[in-house]
Amino acid sequence: MAILRKDLIRELRTREMLISMILFVLLAMVIFHYAFTVKEGADLTYFTGGMLWVTFIFAMLLGLNRSFAQEKDERCLDGLLLCPVDRVIIFLAKTAGNLIFLLLIQVVAVPVFTLFFVERSYVGDLLPFLVVLLLADVGICALGTLLATISMNTRSRDLLLPIIFLPLIVPVLIAATGATTLIFAEGAGFGGLLARVLFLLGFDAVFVVAAYGTYDFAIGE
Amino acid sequence: MPLEIEVEGLRKTFGRREVLKGLSFSLERGGFLSIFGPNGAGKTTTLRVLATLLTAGAGTVRVAGHDVRDDPMPVRRTIGFISHNPMLYLDLTALENLRFYADMYGVDDREARITELLERLELSHRRHDVVRTYSKGMRQRLAIARAILHRPRVLLLDEPHSGLDPRAVDILDGLLTDIRDEHTFVMVTHNIAKGLEWGTRLMIVENGRIAYEHAAGVDPESFSAVYREHVQEGSVL
Amino acid sequence: MKQLVSAPALFVGAGICLVGGLLLAFLYAPVDASSMGFSQKIFYYHVPIAETALVAFGIAFVAAIAYLRTQNLKWDRLGVVCVRLGLLFSLLVMITGMIWGKAAWDVWWAWEPRLTTFLLVCFLYIAYLVLRSVVEEEQRRATYAAVFAIIAFIDVPITFFATRFLPEGLHPVVITAGGTGMEGSMLVGFLISMLGMTLLLVALIRRDLAVEDLKDRVADLKHSIGG
Repeated sequence: MAILRKDLIRELRTREMLISMILFVLLAMVIFHYAFTVKEGADLTYFTGGMLWVTFIFAMLLGLNRSFAQEKDERCLDGLLLCPVDRVIIFLAKTAGNLIFLLLIQVVAVPVFTLFFVERSYVGDLLPFLVVLLLADVGICALGTLLATISMNTRSRDLLLPIIFLPLIVPVLIAATGATTLIFAEGAGFGGLLARVLFLLGFDAVFVVAAYGTYDFAIGE
Repeated sequence: MPLEIEVEGLRKTFGRREVLKGLSFSLERGGFLSIFGPNGAGKTTTLRVLATLLTAGAGTVRVAGHDVRDDPMPVRRTIGFISHNPMLYLDLTALENLRFYADMYGVDDREARITELLERLELSHRRHDVVRTYSKGMRQRLAIARAILHRPRVLLLDEPHSGLDPRAVDILDGLLTDIRDEHTFVMVTHNIAKGLEWGTRLMIVENGRIAYEHAAGVDPESFSAVYREHVQEGSVL
Repeated sequence: MKQLVSAPALFVGAGICLVGGLLLAFLYAPVDASSMGFSQKIFYYHVPIAETALVAFGIAFVAAIAYLRTQNLKWDRLGVVCVRLGLLFSLLVMITGMIWGKAAWDVWWAWEPRLTTFLLVCFLYIAYLVLRSVVEEEQRRATYAAVFAIIAFIDVPITFFATRFLPEGLHPVVITAGGTGMEGSMLVGFLISMLGMTLLLVALIRRDLAVEDLKDRVADLKHSIGG
């Protein structure tokens, strides 16, 4: 859609956000290394899942703020609202944009992280891993876009988003982390993995529907 | 002449403050309504309600035969909005901006229309430049292009002449003259000269109510007197 | 409903039920056979408080939908009141939970499903209150709060399921699929406590609504004087 293209062009042109977020993610990795390597030869494989998802969530918080701040700036949001488009389309486009964004960052971050922290090769389990990744990403982006739309219109917009976003995203964090760690540490054995994947699917379904229903209100005036 | 704009008992409250206290007016197709009034009177609010950007607290508002609250989509297709915020994406080029809006509005002859407008507004030579590099006057000109891209029948203008350099004012006036027929206008302005020059109906909004309403053709002197009475500031003849 | 039962009566009714439940718990019901022993009695308050908190959030959820439909601010007011009370009850759940934990298993905290869920629920609805505090304009604040209340309430059961993915905990499962797993004598006390808590909630809601109404009227007066 046109909105998606517009957002992507803008981002590729300035590249600010992309570069900052990638830098952030890499820095996070370094920080985690120092923060957790207390014992000599400690195996952080079981922690990598957590590290990855925490990093992604916080990176998204930064990214979401930026993406909406731009709309707010030149009153572009008004321009958008004047167009004869359904508000939900705006939501879907924005979410898709954020999703692509997140995926780009992950493409960089995941290999780097796992190279440094994960002991065993999980290339054989790549498919399940990608499934988990995608499902969790959708949840994060959908919820994040909805909440960012709200928080962008408030007084302390940057500070508010983490506060309202984090409690809501914890379930995704738990499931994604568990799934990812399982894959890294023990291989994609079913059972535990399946349950978590289904959970993420359910989460996505529920919240995309919820966002769909409430977005009109969130973006209007 | 059919009525293009019908407003009946328009009310709007922001928090505790009632900004619009029951406005009622109408404008026939082809008409040009000039709205004056002191700051904070509710002029811009009224315009934003007409533009479907705000929902009214009470009252009915119909634009081009559609109710603004119940049926906003057709309304959005028929209106163009020009305010002092250009609503342009700074990091995109002029061409990209216009292409975006053209797509959003579903303009059929996209490229031709864009080229035509860019020439009209004398921006063709800069069309591949990022809007961030534009001067204020140029941004306003591009904003005008954005607003009339989809050939709207109704134009809502919020102080369109403010901040424009003389050349841009000429271009804008030229453009308005060209599309004067077949179009309906509502213009909020502090510029009495322009308001009187263009308007077929004149209105002064004060404190959320219509303080004065008259068809055009008034004696400028007496209008100035009425204006001064209701509006403390504003550019005088 | 408002005219049916007057406020004081509600409080009295709630009080009787609660005290009654307590008495029954201590005097009538037998001491729990498992290792928890006497401390299990806190269960008679702990669980009802938890249920009531969820009921409060549920009402807020319904109120939020009602507000978005009607744009009538009275629903917003109901929503805030319920969230605040729900939050209060949730904090009590955590406190009683921690007391129980300490008394029964000698540990102040455990990362197990129910406690964790309530912890997150607390954060969630505190976020709701924070959200309200940064939006100045009434209608918009109500709108955003409503959207959040809806999302938050949906998230509660989801969070609960998510916490089950975490490693095992110590919390005994009270209501299993089969039945309540409680004997008659325990059940009576429990149910009366439940009733009492719910009545308390209703009474508090009514009282808070009245307080909010007063606050509003005072603000209106101030505004018209020019304050």
